[in-house]
Amino acid sequence: MSSSTRERVLRHINTVGLLQPALHQATHAPYPDTIDHTLYRAYTRGVHDVGGEPDVPIQWEEKEEEQWELNTFATCECLAWRGVWNAEERRRRQNVDVGQTVYLGLPYYGRWLLTAARILVDKQYVTLTELVNKIEEVKKRHEQNSSR
Amino acid sequence: MSDKHKPQPMVDEVSDFEILEMAVRELAIEKGLFSADDHRRWTEYVHTLGPVPAARLVAKAWLDPEYKKLAVTDGVKASLAVGVDWINSPPTGFGTPSDYCNLRVLEDTPKLKHVVVCTLCSCYPRPILGQSPEWYRTPNYRRRLVRWPRQVLAEFGLQLSPEVEIRVADSNQKTRYIVLPVRPAGTEGWTEDQLTEIVTRDCLIGVAVPKPGVTTNAKRPVHPAVHPVHHDH
Amino acid sequence: MSKIHHDRTHHAKKATNIGDPQCFKGEAGAPKFKVGDRVRVKDLPDLFYTRTQTYPRGVVGTVTVLVYESPAPEDEAWDNTDKSEWFYSVKFRQKDIWPDYHDLYANDTLETELSERWLEKA
Repeated sequence: MSSSTRERVLRHINTVGLLQPALHQATHAPYPDTIDHTLYRAYTRGVHDVGGEPDVPIQWEEKEEEQWELNTFATCECLAWRGVWNAEERRRRQNVDVGQTVYLGLPYYGRWLLTAARILVDKQYVTLTELVNKIEEVKKRHEQNSSR
Repeated sequence: MSDKHKPQPMVDEVSDFEILEMAVRELAIEKGLFSADDHRRWTEYVHTLGPVPAARLVAKAWLDPEYKKLAVTDGVKASLAVGVDWINSPPTGFGTPSDYCNLRVLEDTPKLKHVVVCTLCSCYPRPILGQSPEWYRTPNYRRRLVRWPRQVLAEFGLQLSPEVEIRVADSNQKTRYIVLPVRPAGTEGWTEDQLTEIVTRDCLIGVAVPKPGVTTNAKRPVHPAVHPVHHDH
Repeated sequence: MSKIHHDRTHHAKKATNIGDPQCFKGEAGAPKFKVGDRVRVKDLPDLFYTRTQTYPRGVVGTVTVLVYESPAPEDEAWDNTDKSEWFYSVKFRQKDIWPDYHDLYANDTLETELSERWLEKA
């Protein structure tokens, strides 16, 4: 188990290296006087605001829905139904607060899901400890089921 | 399971998203934020949705000028005639949180063609049109449609002459849109049911126009689900 | 330990049997603009959240519908719903938004919604 943990850790570090925004100059934690109005605006923009960005044609495709995607949608709407958040707060957290890497890198409902997890912690309905323990519990349950 | 010695590749059995989805849902229910019954009711509600009510609204508007007037001035009220109550059909009694309750029906003419996008996310009139297609949610469609609508429409198979004004509706706030296309020639004397059949989801988004004999969206590749939605609730 | 307290019922109480944005009707006062007015989209600071896209900023368009009253997304996104304002559907010429839009398609237009704070008389 420990060797595969290290493999996963090192694979992760190599993967995130590929996800950096491709602005071809040294940009990590730059000096304040290097951020002019243009760069300030670019870095602080809402990442959902993509209208008019140049892009090349792609193949238009349909997609079958995963069960977890429908479940996630229902969870997010139930959270709004019962007043944990409103739809505008959900849109803000899921389409802007996540940042560009997650915004473009995860599937559509992946962002819904991460945001639903996050709201439970941010609004103190669940501690992060409880969330992490629950994730472990669900994982173990599935390992047992699949090895049975 | 027949071969005990073969280790089960757990990562392939269940994805990280599936694990997190169960964890979040179970915790929310345990903490009393919503009930398992709420979740079941919402899922059942979603299973009732699809594009047919919107298609029927269009067919009715083609047949009845008075109803068309109502549709273009008060889409929410007009939806009642096709069985969609934006406020009380969803289990909340105050509409679906993410779709709100303000439908606008955009009327095409021979000189005006509407097409809908949401550049900021993928706002879509689910209560009357069902779940949005994957391509509608892509950053690509959202980036390009507002700026190069004729190119994008051409990729969907719709080439329009320069005399036709293309109007892009960017669904950025609480209003949701469907397109009321022009009734095509060759449908004279058709019934409401016959007309409903040719108003596809793509026609209602605005990337296609209705045509006699065409009752499905254009054929496109379908990305399959690993664990697809089961409809046995 | 200190806990944040949220009123989880306020929106349901207000919107049940009425709908959203209908439940904010009458809260914004008199609208500043009317149908047919020429308006320019302001380029306001948009730190953290807005639903006013960047692309129509500085462009002049025409008000087509006074659509509804609602809290602005900038406030509602943090559940601040005490103040509502008017929302307008505004139609723009594509050529006014995109400098490279082809002259052949000069009739093409785009319509989107903007809250009152983002608009000024053109």
